[in-house]
Amino acid sequence: MTAVLALQQINKQFGHGHTAVTALKDANFEVSAGQFVAIIGPSGSGKSTFLTIAAGLQTPTSGQVLLNGTELATQSEKARLAYRFNEIGFILQSSNLIPFLTVTEQLKLVDKMAKRSFQAKRAQTLLAELALTEVATAYPNELSGGERQRVAIVRALYNDPSVILADEPTASLDTPRSIDVVERLAKEAHQHHKAIVMVTHDQRLIGNCDVVYKIEDGVMTKQ
Amino acid sequence: MRHEKLRYGLLSGVLLLIALVVFMLAGLANGLSNGNRQAIDNWQATDVYLAQNANETLSASQVKLADQSLIKGDQTAPLATLSGTLRTAKNAHKTTVSALATTRNSFIMPKIVSGHRINGQNQLLISESLTTDGYKLGQTVRLGTTTKTVKIVGTYASSTYMISPTVYTDIATLNRLKAMPVTSGKQQTVNGFVTKNGQFKTSDHGSLQRLTMATFINKLPGYSAEQLTLNTMIYFLFAIALAIIGIFMFVLTLQKQALFGVLKVQGIGTNHILAALLTQSIAMALIGIVIGLGITVGLAQIMPAGLPFAINWGQFGLYGLALLAAAVVGALLSWRTVANIDPAVAIG
Repeated sequence: MTAVLALQQINKQFGHGHTAVTALKDANFEVSAGQFVAIIGPSGSGKSTFLTIAAGLQTPTSGQVLLNGTELATQSEKARLAYRFNEIGFILQSSNLIPFLTVTEQLKLVDKMAKRSFQAKRAQTLLAELALTEVATAYPNELSGGERQRVAIVRALYNDPSVILADEPTASLDTPRSIDVVERLAKEAHQHHKAIVMVTHDQRLIGNCDVVYKIEDGVMTKQ
Repeated sequence: MRHEKLRYGLLSGVLLLIALVVFMLAGLANGLSNGNRQAIDNWQATDVYLAQNANETLSASQVKLADQSLIKGDQTAPLATLSGTLRTAKNAHKTTVSALATTRNSFIMPKIVSGHRINGQNQLLISESLTTDGYKLGQTVRLGTTTKTVKIVGTYASSTYMISPTVYTDIATLNRLKAMPVTSGKQQTVNGFVTKNGQFKTSDHGSLQRLTMATFINKLPGYSAEQLTLNTMIYFLFAIALAIIGIFMFVLTLQKQALFGVLKVQGIGTNHILAALLTQSIAMALIGIVIGLGITVGLAQIMPAGLPFAINWGQFGLYGLALLAAAVVGALLSWRTVANIDPAVAIG
């Protein structure tokens, strides 16, 4: 299996001289299609830095980020924007939904940005898969926390990206709902043959993951 | 936008009020301007010749009819004025009018709507608007302070000069009404001459001074002060509209910073976000402007007749566009803020 997303020898430093802080030290990481990978670590361990670098939101001090074999760091801002839109799906801590659009409209917006017409059937299938058919016309503030994160999963899957990055997707959920969301993520990864990377600090959630990386003080180790 | 009806409604409402005031002021400025210069515009003349010492004011200028020989032009007409009271014989009706006198066949004589042209002494043409005040053809009226009378022989499409309705007569008749010592021949006094494409024949200007029509109109008593006042108010309103829209869109942007960060993470860039802000801003401005214009037109219908108000669609369109431009610029003021939102803040 070839890696969809690979980070090689990544170093990231903030600041200079005496005040320099190393957020990531020689980090190596890769994820393949159909894999559900967890990155686990306490807060301040470099998880967020890892995610922003993997998404091309920050450039590493040294090392390479390869998305489908293409080096991300050398791309222009515009190309990285297009990459993020086309190749990466995001599920963020709290909801990354737009408050004034209904669930279906969130998906329509993706199509509008991609300059294509609404894929009604795909939307229907995905919403049904995540048990959201009944709330398709609801606004985010009318949904429960779990429903919101499930909508975020649909939204991330909808654009058919190569890789989905989930940043603490269960942070605002209770245990049963957290487990439900993680189980669904695992299922989607395997069923749709997607690479899904989940960053979390919650040890209990890693049971469903194919690979687990531990990160502590900027050092990443594969478990 | 649907979700924040109140907020956007308020801004649209403020823009509506600004647009309303802009259009009302523009209408008043137009109305006043027309009231001052309508008769002059009807002449379609290009320049005016007044006495050098008249401080460019028609009523203060006194020249001899004979001075016309100093000027040549496509068309030339002498002009005499008298601002006075028009009254019927028994004082049943009294109206302040601007009396204008020229030669009987001059190019500035208005076109007759009813009755006939001036073909003899002591005849008067009146603006059609005066017929609603009770003046009619064949009536004998007095004009000015003398007891001399003239007869109304014709009417023409309404016009005004110096905010009063106009009446026209010939120069000899007006000089009689003014009780001038000379009331016939080339030595009669007139206020000046108007020409189409005129100029002095030689370097001898006599006591005359040439003014372009634009200068002449600007020198009408009170005219430029009036227009400048109203137009300055309008220009300030554009600035106010710009500030309000700019501040509103900026606050909105600040409030939505987190959301815009999330959008940027997802690959929806600054340009898309700005386009959305622009669309919203323009939509709100359009709603405000269109309703404001509608109310202005509605108010114009029920305005008292004495209020000088005139709609100039070209100008209203221009002012509407200026307000719209204020909305565009106001929205673009948030460009830097949107561009500077770091998508990384949405993560972690």
